[in-house]
Amino acid sequence: MARRVVVTGLGVVCASGADAASFNAALSDGRTAIAEHVFTAGEGLETTAPGAKVEGVDEAVGALGRDLARADLFSQYAALAADQAVDDAGLSADEPLGDRTAVILGAGIGGHSAMEDAYVGILRKDRRPHPLTILKTIPNAAASQLSIRYGARGPAFAVSSACASGAHAIGLCANLIRSGAADRGLAGASEAVLTYGSILAWKAMHILSPDMCRPFSKERNGLVIGDGAGVLMLEAYEAAKARGAPIYAELAGFGMNADGADMINPAVDGAAGALALALEPAPSTSPDAVYVNAHGTGTLMNDPTETKAIRRVFGADADRLAVSSTKSMHGHLLGAAGAVEAVASLLAMKNGFAPPTANYQTPDPDCDLDVTPNEARPRRIDLALSNSFAFGGMNAVLAFSRV
Amino acid sequence: MADVDGTFLDIIKNHAVGLTDAPTRDTLVADLGIDSFAIVEIIYDVEEQLGVEIPFNANENPLGDMKTVGDLIDAVSGLMKKA
Repeated sequence: MARRVVVTGLGVVCASGADAASFNAALSDGRTAIAEHVFTAGEGLETTAPGAKVEGVDEAVGALGRDLARADLFSQYAALAADQAVDDAGLSADEPLGDRTAVILGAGIGGHSAMEDAYVGILRKDRRPHPLTILKTIPNAAASQLSIRYGARGPAFAVSSACASGAHAIGLCANLIRSGAADRGLAGASEAVLTYGSILAWKAMHILSPDMCRPFSKERNGLVIGDGAGVLMLEAYEAAKARGAPIYAELAGFGMNADGADMINPAVDGAAGALALALEPAPSTSPDAVYVNAHGTGTLMNDPTETKAIRRVFGADADRLAVSSTKSMHGHLLGAAGAVEAVASLLAMKNGFAPPTANYQTPDPDCDLDVTPNEARPRRIDLALSNSFAFGGMNAVLAFSRV
Repeated sequence: MADVDGTFLDIIKNHAVGLTDAPTRDTLVADLGIDSFAIVEIIYDVEEQLGVEIPFNANENPLGDMKTVGDLIDAVSGLMKKA
Protein backbone atom coordinates (compact mmCIF):
# COMPACT_ATOMS: atom_id res chain seq x y z
CA MET A 1 0.00 0.00 0.00
CA ALA A 2 1.31 3.44 -0.92
CA ARG A 3 2.49 5.59 1.94
CA ARG A 4 0.22 8.28 3.30
CA VAL A 5 1.54 11.83 3.30
CA VAL A 6 0.67 14.44 5.90
CA VAL A 7 1.37 18.12 6.49
CA THR A 8 3.33 18.71 9.68
CA GLY A 9 4.33 22.33 9.28
CA LEU A 10 3.49 25.42 7.30
CA GLY A 11 4.81 28.87 6.63
CA VAL A 12 3.56 31.86 4.71
CA VAL A 13 4.61 35.32 3.61
CA CYS A 14 2.16 37.44 1.70
CA ALA A 15 0.48 40.83 1.81
CA SER A 16 -2.12 39.46 4.24
CA GLY A 17 0.50 38.35 6.74
CA ALA A 18 4.11 37.29 7.08
CA ASP A 19 3.38 34.44 9.47
CA ALA A 20 0.59 31.91 9.95
CA ALA A 21 -1.03 33.73 12.88
CA SER A 22 -1.38 37.09 11.14
CA PHE A 23 -2.41 35.42 7.88
CA ASN A 24 -5.08 33.48 9.78
CA ALA A 25 -6.32 36.70 11.40
CA ALA A 26 -6.58 38.47 8.03
CA LEU A 27 -8.50 35.52 6.57
CA SER A 28 -10.94 35.27 9.44
CA ASP A 29 -11.47 39.05 9.47
CA GLY A 30 -12.02 39.08 5.72
CA ARG A 31 -9.51 41.90 5.38
CA THR A 32 -8.11 42.65 1.94
CA ALA A 33 -4.46 43.60 1.62
CA ILE A 34 -4.93 44.95 -1.88
CA ALA A 35 -4.09 48.64 -2.33
CA GLU A 36 -2.96 50.96 -5.06
CA HIS A 37 0.82 51.15 -5.46
CA VAL A 38 3.28 52.97 -7.67
CA PHE A 39 5.76 50.61 -9.32
CA THR A 40 8.96 52.23 -10.50
CA ALA A 41 12.26 51.34 -12.10
CA GLY A 42 13.72 54.83 -11.74
CA GLU A 43 12.88 58.32 -12.82
CA GLY A 44 10.36 58.51 -15.64
CA LEU A 45 9.61 54.80 -15.32
CA GLU A 46 6.52 54.66 -13.18
CA THR A 47 3.16 52.96 -13.34
CA THR A 48 0.29 52.73 -10.91
CA ALA A 49 -1.76 49.61 -10.26
CA PRO A 50 -3.51 47.80 -7.45
CA GLY A 51 -1.34 45.12 -5.92
CA ALA A 52 -0.96 42.96 -2.84
CA LYS A 53 2.53 43.85 -1.74
CA VAL A 54 4.46 42.21 1.09
CA GLU A 55 5.43 44.92 3.56
CA GLY A 56 7.26 45.08 6.87
CA VAL A 57 9.62 42.15 6.31
CA ASP A 58 12.86 44.04 5.62
CA GLU A 59 14.29 43.20 9.01
CA ALA A 60 13.41 39.51 8.72
CA VAL A 61 14.91 39.39 5.21
CA GLY A 62 18.06 41.09 6.52
CA ALA A 63 18.36 38.43 9.22
CA LEU A 64 18.32 35.57 6.68
CA GLY A 65 22.09 35.76 6.35
CA ARG A 66 24.73 36.22 3.74
CA ASP A 67 23.66 33.67 1.11
CA LEU A 68 20.15 35.02 0.93
CA ALA A 69 21.26 38.65 1.02
CA ARG A 70 22.54 37.92 -2.48
CA ALA A 71 19.33 36.30 -3.69
CA ASP A 72 16.25 37.65 -5.44
CA LEU A 73 13.20 38.54 -3.41
CA PHE A 74 11.40 35.36 -4.51
CA SER A 75 14.11 33.24 -2.86
CA GLN A 76 14.06 35.41 0.25
CA TYR A 77 10.29 35.00 0.61
CA ALA A 78 10.69 31.24 0.17
CA ALA A 79 13.27 31.16 2.97
CA LEU A 80 11.09 33.21 5.32
CA ALA A 81 8.16 30.83 4.75
CA ALA A 82 10.33 27.71 4.94
CA ASP A 83 11.93 28.79 8.24
CA GLN A 84 8.40 28.97 9.67
CA ALA A 85 7.45 25.58 8.24
CA VAL A 86 10.55 23.84 9.63
CA ASP A 87 10.01 25.39 13.04
CA ASP A 88 6.27 24.66 12.97
CA ALA A 89 7.01 21.00 12.21
CA GLY A 90 9.12 20.85 15.36
CA LEU A 91 12.35 20.32 13.43
CA SER A 92 15.56 22.18 14.09
CA ALA A 93 16.93 24.47 11.39
CA ASP A 94 20.40 23.86 12.86
CA GLU A 95 20.47 20.16 12.06
CA PRO A 96 20.74 19.19 8.38
CA LEU A 97 17.46 17.78 7.09
CA GLY A 98 19.55 15.22 5.23
CA ASP A 99 19.45 12.83 2.29
CA ARG A 100 15.82 11.81 2.65
CA THR A 101 14.37 15.33 2.55
CA ALA A 102 13.14 16.74 -0.76
CA VAL A 103 12.77 20.40 -1.72
CA ILE A 104 10.19 20.95 -4.43
CA LEU A 105 9.36 24.60 -5.01
CA GLY A 106 7.26 26.24 -7.66
CA ALA A 107 7.79 29.58 -9.36
CA GLY A 108 5.78 30.96 -12.24
CA ILE A 109 8.59 33.24 -13.31
CA GLY A 110 11.43 33.34 -10.80
CA GLY A 111 13.80 36.22 -10.12
CA HIS A 112 11.95 38.86 -12.03
CA SER A 113 13.41 41.88 -10.27
CA ALA A 114 17.00 40.68 -10.70
CA MET A 115 16.53 40.43 -14.46
CA GLU A 116 14.61 43.70 -14.60
CA ASP A 117 17.39 45.50 -12.69
CA ALA A 118 19.87 44.10 -15.19
CA TYR A 119 17.94 45.42 -18.18
CA VAL A 120 17.30 48.83 -16.62
CA GLY A 121 21.06 49.06 -16.02
CA ILE A 122 21.95 47.99 -19.55
CA LEU A 123 19.43 50.14 -21.37
CA ARG A 124 19.16 53.22 -19.20
CA LYS A 125 22.44 53.56 -17.37
CA ASP A 126 24.94 51.87 -19.64
CA ARG A 127 25.79 49.64 -16.69
CA ARG A 128 26.77 45.99 -16.77
CA PRO A 129 24.43 43.47 -15.13
CA HIS A 130 25.26 42.37 -11.60
CA PRO A 131 27.44 39.25 -11.82
CA LEU A 132 24.93 37.17 -9.89
CA THR A 133 21.97 38.10 -12.10
CA ILE A 134 21.65 34.61 -13.58
CA LEU A 135 21.92 32.86 -10.21
CA LYS A 136 19.30 35.18 -8.75
CA THR A 137 16.93 34.74 -11.68
CA ILE A 138 16.84 31.01 -12.42
CA PRO A 139 13.51 29.54 -11.30
CA ASN A 140 15.25 26.88 -9.19
CA ALA A 141 17.13 29.53 -7.17
CA ALA A 142 14.64 29.35 -4.31
CA ALA A 143 14.68 25.52 -4.22
CA SER A 144 18.48 25.55 -4.28
CA GLN A 145 18.71 28.16 -1.53
CA LEU A 146 16.44 26.08 0.71
CA SER A 147 18.32 22.89 0.02
CA ILE A 148 21.56 24.67 1.03
CA ARG A 149 19.98 26.43 4.00
CA TYR A 150 18.67 23.23 5.61
CA GLY A 151 21.15 20.68 4.27
CA ALA A 152 18.27 18.94 2.49
CA ARG A 153 19.95 16.59 0.03
CA GLY A 154 17.08 14.54 -1.33
CA PRO A 155 15.36 15.25 -4.67
CA ALA A 156 15.21 19.00 -5.31
CA PHE A 157 13.95 20.97 -8.26
CA ALA A 158 11.66 23.77 -9.34
CA VAL A 159 8.24 23.30 -10.84
CA SER A 160 6.87 25.84 -13.26
CA SER A 161 3.29 25.79 -14.47
CA ALA A 162 2.26 29.44 -14.11
CA CYS A 163 -0.56 29.81 -11.59
CA ALA A 164 -0.57 26.07 -10.82
CA SER A 165 3.15 25.85 -9.89
CA GLY A 166 2.56 25.81 -6.13
CA ALA A 167 -0.11 23.12 -6.23
CA HIS A 168 1.95 21.04 -8.64
CA ALA A 169 5.01 21.36 -6.37
CA ILE A 170 3.07 20.19 -3.30
CA GLY A 171 1.41 17.34 -5.19
CA LEU A 172 4.64 16.18 -6.79
CA CYS A 173 6.53 16.31 -3.51
CA ALA A 174 3.83 14.14 -1.92
CA ASN A 175 4.16 11.69 -4.81
CA LEU A 176 7.94 11.51 -4.23
CA ILE A 177 7.29 10.63 -0.60
CA ARG A 178 4.63 8.09 -1.58
CA SER A 179 7.00 6.46 -4.04
CA GLY A 180 9.75 6.18 -1.43
CA ALA A 181 12.13 8.64 -3.13
CA ALA A 182 12.06 10.78 0.02
CA ASP A 183 10.64 10.56 3.55
CA ARG A 184 9.72 14.20 3.87
CA GLY A 185 9.97 17.40 1.90
CA LEU A 186 9.65 21.14 1.87
CA ALA A 187 7.04 21.87 -0.78
CA GLY A 188 5.46 25.09 -1.92
CA ALA A 189 6.21 28.05 -4.11
CA SER A 190 7.24 31.66 -4.13
CA GLU A 191 6.84 34.60 -6.46
CA ALA A 192 7.88 38.24 -6.53
CA VAL A 193 6.74 39.90 -9.72
CA LEU A 194 5.43 43.23 -8.48
CA THR A 195 7.89 45.19 -10.57
CA TYR A 196 7.53 48.02 -13.03
CA GLY A 197 8.18 45.94 -16.13
CA SER A 198 6.06 43.04 -15.00
CA ILE A 199 3.07 45.24 -14.21
CA LEU A 200 3.33 46.83 -17.66
CA ALA A 201 3.38 43.36 -19.21
CA TRP A 202 0.29 42.35 -17.23
CA LYS A 203 -1.41 45.59 -18.21
CA ALA A 204 -0.63 44.87 -21.86
CA MET A 205 -2.55 41.62 -21.51
CA HIS A 206 -5.60 43.61 -20.37
CA ILE A 207 -6.36 41.19 -17.61
CA LEU A 208 -5.55 43.28 -14.52
CA SER A 209 -8.28 44.91 -12.54
CA PRO A 210 -7.92 48.70 -12.44
CA ASP A 211 -9.11 48.83 -8.84
CA MET A 212 -9.93 45.68 -6.86
CA CYS A 213 -10.15 41.90 -7.05
CA ARG A 214 -13.82 40.87 -6.76
CA PRO A 215 -14.05 37.13 -7.46
CA PHE A 216 -17.48 35.76 -8.39
CA SER A 217 -19.06 39.25 -8.22
CA LYS A 218 -21.01 40.65 -11.14
CA GLU A 219 -18.64 43.65 -10.96
CA ARG A 220 -15.43 41.59 -11.22
CA ASN A 221 -13.02 43.22 -13.64
CA GLY A 222 -9.76 41.33 -13.47
CA LEU A 223 -7.05 39.97 -11.26
CA VAL A 224 -4.71 41.75 -8.88
CA ILE A 225 -1.14 40.53 -8.52
CA GLY A 226 0.32 39.67 -5.11
CA ASP A 227 3.80 38.64 -3.94
CA GLY A 228 4.89 36.07 -1.41
CA ALA A 229 5.48 32.43 -0.65
CA GLY A 230 3.88 29.43 1.00
CA VAL A 231 5.82 26.38 2.14
CA LEU A 232 4.61 23.13 3.71
CA MET A 233 6.55 20.40 5.47
CA LEU A 234 5.23 17.13 4.09
CA GLU A 235 6.06 13.85 5.78
CA ALA A 236 5.28 10.20 5.51
CA TYR A 237 2.44 9.62 7.98
CA GLU A 238 4.09 6.81 9.90
CA ALA A 239 7.29 8.82 10.40
CA ALA A 240 5.38 11.91 11.49
CA LYS A 241 3.34 9.85 13.95
CA ALA A 242 6.42 8.09 15.29
CA ARG A 243 8.12 11.35 16.17
CA GLY A 244 4.94 12.86 17.60
CA ALA A 245 4.80 15.66 15.04
CA PRO A 246 1.77 17.94 14.88
CA ILE A 247 -0.40 16.93 11.91
CA TYR A 248 -2.50 19.51 10.07
CA ALA A 249 -4.02 17.15 7.52
CA GLU A 250 -3.34 14.37 5.08
CA LEU A 251 -2.76 15.24 1.46
CA ALA A 252 -5.36 12.69 0.48
CA GLY A 253 -5.68 13.55 -3.19
CA PHE A 254 -3.87 15.34 -5.99
CA GLY A 255 -5.44 15.78 -9.40
CA MET A 256 -3.53 17.17 -12.35
CA ASN A 257 -4.22 17.39 -16.05
CA ALA A 258 -4.13 19.81 -18.97
CA ASP A 259 -6.90 21.40 -20.99
CA GLY A 260 -4.88 20.97 -24.17
CA ALA A 261 -6.93 23.76 -25.64
CA ASP A 262 -5.92 27.38 -25.17
CA MET A 263 -3.16 29.53 -23.64
CA ILE A 264 -5.57 31.94 -21.97
CA ASN A 265 -9.11 30.63 -21.77
CA PRO A 266 -9.86 28.01 -19.13
CA ALA A 267 -11.94 24.92 -19.91
CA VAL A 268 -14.66 23.30 -17.80
CA ASP A 269 -13.57 19.80 -18.86
CA GLY A 270 -10.00 20.26 -17.63
CA ALA A 271 -10.92 21.91 -14.35
CA ALA A 272 -13.65 19.37 -13.58
CA GLY A 273 -11.33 16.51 -14.55
CA ALA A 274 -8.58 17.65 -12.18
CA LEU A 275 -11.09 18.15 -9.38
CA ALA A 276 -12.49 14.65 -9.88
CA LEU A 277 -9.00 13.13 -9.89
CA ALA A 278 -8.18 14.84 -6.58
CA LEU A 279 -11.43 13.66 -5.00
CA GLU A 280 -11.19 10.05 -6.14
CA PRO A 281 -8.74 8.79 -3.46
CA ALA A 282 -9.96 11.24 -0.79
CA PRO A 283 -12.26 9.92 1.95
CA SER A 284 -15.94 10.32 1.26
CA THR A 285 -17.05 13.45 3.13
CA SER A 286 -20.35 15.18 3.71
CA PRO A 287 -20.55 18.26 1.46
CA ASP A 288 -21.43 20.20 4.63
CA ALA A 289 -17.86 19.63 5.83
CA VAL A 290 -16.11 20.50 2.58
CA TYR A 291 -14.36 23.79 1.86
CA VAL A 292 -13.22 24.70 -1.64
CA ASN A 293 -10.49 27.32 -1.92
CA ALA A 294 -11.31 28.32 -5.47
CA HIS A 295 -8.85 29.48 -8.08
CA GLY A 296 -11.26 32.45 -8.25
CA THR A 297 -9.10 34.99 -10.04
CA GLY A 298 -11.82 37.59 -10.45
CA THR A 299 -11.50 37.51 -14.23
CA LEU A 300 -14.48 37.40 -16.54
CA MET A 301 -13.61 33.91 -17.78
CA ASN A 302 -12.24 31.98 -14.81
CA ASP A 303 -15.00 32.35 -12.26
CA PRO A 304 -18.01 31.07 -14.29
CA THR A 305 -15.86 28.27 -15.76
CA GLU A 306 -14.76 27.19 -12.30
CA THR A 307 -18.37 27.40 -11.06
CA LYS A 308 -19.48 25.06 -13.84
CA ALA A 309 -16.61 22.66 -13.11
CA ILE A 310 -17.47 22.47 -9.39
CA ARG A 311 -21.16 21.94 -10.24
CA ARG A 312 -20.33 19.20 -12.70
CA VAL A 313 -18.25 17.28 -10.13
CA PHE A 314 -20.48 17.77 -7.08
CA GLY A 315 -23.90 17.80 -8.75
CA ALA A 316 -26.68 18.69 -6.33
CA ASP A 317 -24.19 18.68 -3.43
CA ALA A 318 -22.46 21.75 -4.89
CA ASP A 319 -24.86 24.10 -3.10
CA ARG A 320 -23.83 22.67 0.28
CA LEU A 321 -20.13 23.45 -0.23
CA ALA A 322 -18.44 26.48 1.25
CA VAL A 323 -16.45 28.02 -1.59
CA SER A 324 -14.30 31.13 -1.52
CA SER A 325 -11.50 32.90 -3.29
CA THR A 326 -8.94 34.17 -0.82
CA LYS A 327 -7.26 35.97 -3.75
CA SER A 328 -9.72 38.73 -2.88
CA MET A 329 -7.49 39.34 0.15
CA HIS A 330 -3.91 38.30 -0.67
CA GLY A 331 -4.08 38.85 -4.42
CA HIS A 332 -3.05 36.42 -7.13
CA LEU A 333 0.42 35.14 -6.29
CA LEU A 334 0.82 33.43 -9.67
CA GLY A 335 3.29 30.59 -9.14
CA ALA A 336 2.88 30.86 -5.39
CA ALA A 337 -0.94 31.02 -5.46
CA GLY A 338 -1.48 27.30 -4.98
CA ALA A 339 1.00 27.20 -2.10
CA VAL A 340 -0.37 30.19 -0.18
CA GLU A 341 -3.93 28.97 -0.79
CA ALA A 342 -2.99 25.52 0.49
CA VAL A 343 -1.83 27.25 3.67
CA ALA A 344 -5.13 29.18 3.81
CA SER A 345 -7.07 25.91 3.40
CA LEU A 346 -5.08 24.18 6.15
CA LEU A 347 -5.53 27.09 8.56
CA ALA A 348 -9.26 27.10 7.79
CA MET A 349 -9.46 23.39 8.58
CA LYS A 350 -7.42 23.71 11.75
CA ASN A 351 -9.28 26.74 13.08
CA GLY A 352 -12.76 25.74 11.95
CA PHE A 353 -13.85 28.49 9.59
CA ALA A 354 -14.49 29.13 5.93
CA PRO A 355 -12.52 32.22 4.86
CA PRO A 356 -14.65 34.66 2.88
CA THR A 357 -14.53 36.01 -0.63
CA ALA A 358 -13.85 39.65 0.23
CA ASN A 359 -14.90 42.68 -1.82
CA TYR A 360 -18.00 40.85 -2.97
CA GLN A 361 -20.80 43.04 -4.31
CA THR A 362 -23.57 41.82 -6.61
CA PRO A 363 -24.29 38.12 -7.25
CA ASP A 364 -23.63 36.87 -10.77
CA PRO A 365 -26.03 34.10 -11.89
CA ASP A 366 -23.10 32.46 -13.71
CA CYS A 367 -21.17 32.23 -10.42
CA ASP A 368 -23.98 30.99 -8.21
CA LEU A 369 -22.19 28.82 -5.65
CA ASP A 370 -22.07 29.79 -2.00
CA VAL A 371 -18.89 31.85 -2.24
CA THR A 372 -18.93 32.90 1.43
CA PRO A 373 -19.34 36.59 0.63
CA ASN A 374 -17.38 39.09 2.72
CA GLU A 375 -17.59 37.40 6.09
CA ALA A 376 -15.87 34.30 7.35
CA ARG A 377 -18.16 31.59 8.67
CA PRO A 378 -17.56 29.00 11.39
CA ARG A 379 -17.40 25.60 9.74
CA ARG A 380 -16.06 22.20 10.57
CA ILE A 381 -13.91 21.27 7.60
CA ASP A 382 -13.04 17.61 7.06
CA LEU A 383 -12.00 18.02 3.44
CA ALA A 384 -10.39 21.12 1.94
CA LEU A 385 -9.88 21.39 -1.79
CA SER A 386 -7.49 23.92 -3.27
CA ASN A 387 -7.94 24.64 -6.97
CA SER A 388 -5.27 25.99 -9.30
CA PHE A 389 -6.06 26.46 -12.99
CA ALA A 390 -3.15 28.05 -14.80
CA PHE A 391 -2.55 29.98 -17.97
CA GLY A 392 -1.66 27.50 -20.64
CA GLY A 393 -4.43 25.19 -19.43
CA MET A 394 -2.50 23.44 -16.65
CA ASN A 395 -4.66 22.28 -13.78
CA ALA A 396 -3.75 21.06 -10.30
CA VAL A 397 -6.09 20.39 -7.39
CA LEU A 398 -5.04 19.45 -3.86
CA ALA A 399 -7.35 17.59 -1.47
CA PHE A 400 -6.50 17.81 2.24
CA SER A 401 -8.42 15.61 4.64
CA ARG A 402 -8.60 15.72 8.40
CA VAL A 403 -6.52 13.03 10.09
CA MET B 1 46.24 56.68 -11.50
CA ALA B 2 43.93 54.82 -9.17
CA ASP B 3 45.20 53.68 -5.79
CA VAL B 4 45.19 50.05 -6.82
CA ASP B 5 46.36 48.70 -3.46
CA GLY B 6 43.80 50.68 -1.45
CA THR B 7 40.89 49.98 -3.79
CA PHE B 8 41.69 46.30 -4.04
CA LEU B 9 42.09 45.86 -0.29
CA ASP B 10 38.75 47.62 0.28
CA ILE B 11 37.02 45.30 -2.16
CA ILE B 12 38.58 42.25 -0.51
CA LYS B 13 37.56 43.53 2.91
CA ASN B 14 33.93 43.78 1.82
CA HIS B 15 33.76 40.19 0.66
CA ALA B 16 36.17 38.29 2.90
CA VAL B 17 33.93 37.03 5.68
CA GLY B 18 36.72 34.76 6.94
CA LEU B 19 38.91 37.67 8.08
CA THR B 20 38.77 39.34 11.47
CA ASP B 21 41.55 41.86 10.72
CA ALA B 22 41.82 44.12 7.69
CA PRO B 23 43.54 42.34 4.79
CA THR B 24 47.07 43.33 3.76
CA ARG B 25 49.28 42.41 0.82
CA ASP B 26 50.60 39.50 2.90
CA THR B 27 47.20 37.97 3.64
CA LEU B 28 46.88 34.50 2.15
CA VAL B 29 44.09 34.11 -0.39
CA ALA B 30 43.24 30.82 1.31
CA ASP B 31 42.48 32.67 4.55
CA LEU B 32 39.95 35.08 3.03
CA GLY B 33 36.98 32.76 3.46
CA ILE B 34 35.48 33.71 0.12
CA ASP B 35 32.84 31.52 -1.47
CA SER B 36 31.86 31.01 -5.08
CA PHE B 37 29.50 33.98 -5.06
CA ALA B 38 32.14 36.27 -3.55
CA ILE B 39 34.72 35.42 -6.22
CA VAL B 40 32.32 36.54 -8.92
CA GLU B 41 31.45 39.68 -6.97
CA ILE B 42 35.10 40.57 -6.29
CA ILE B 43 35.96 40.29 -9.98
CA TYR B 44 32.98 42.47 -10.87
CA ASP B 45 33.93 45.11 -8.29
CA VAL B 46 37.56 45.16 -9.43
CA GLU B 47 36.49 45.58 -13.05
CA GLU B 48 34.03 48.35 -12.19
CA GLN B 49 36.23 50.28 -9.79
CA LEU B 50 39.60 49.89 -11.47
CA GLY B 51 38.37 49.96 -15.05
CA VAL B 52 40.16 46.80 -16.01
CA GLU B 53 38.92 43.64 -17.62
CA ILE B 54 39.93 40.49 -15.79
CA PRO B 55 40.49 37.64 -18.28
CA PHE B 56 38.98 35.21 -15.82
CA ASN B 57 37.41 32.04 -17.01
CA ALA B 58 35.70 30.07 -14.28
CA ASN B 59 36.57 26.87 -16.13
CA GLU B 60 40.29 27.30 -15.53
CA ASN B 61 42.29 27.32 -12.31
CA PRO B 62 41.69 30.95 -11.43
CA LEU B 63 44.61 31.49 -9.09
CA GLY B 64 47.53 29.81 -10.83
CA ASP B 65 50.62 30.50 -8.68
CA MET B 66 49.05 33.42 -6.82
CA LYS B 67 48.98 32.82 -3.07
CA THR B 68 48.69 36.20 -1.36
CA VAL B 69 46.50 39.25 -1.79
CA GLY B 70 49.65 41.06 -2.94
CA ASP B 71 50.00 38.57 -5.81
CA LEU B 72 46.44 39.41 -6.87
CA ILE B 73 47.10 43.15 -6.70
CA ASP B 74 50.25 42.76 -8.82
CA ALA B 75 48.32 40.73 -11.37
CA VAL B 76 45.62 43.40 -11.60
CA SER B 77 48.27 46.15 -11.84
CA GLY B 78 49.90 44.20 -14.66
CA LEU B 79 46.61 44.03 -16.53
CA MET B 80 46.09 47.76 -16.04
CA LYS B 81 49.50 48.57 -17.56
CA LYS B 82 48.70 46.39 -20.58
CA ALA B 83 45.36 48.14 -21.14
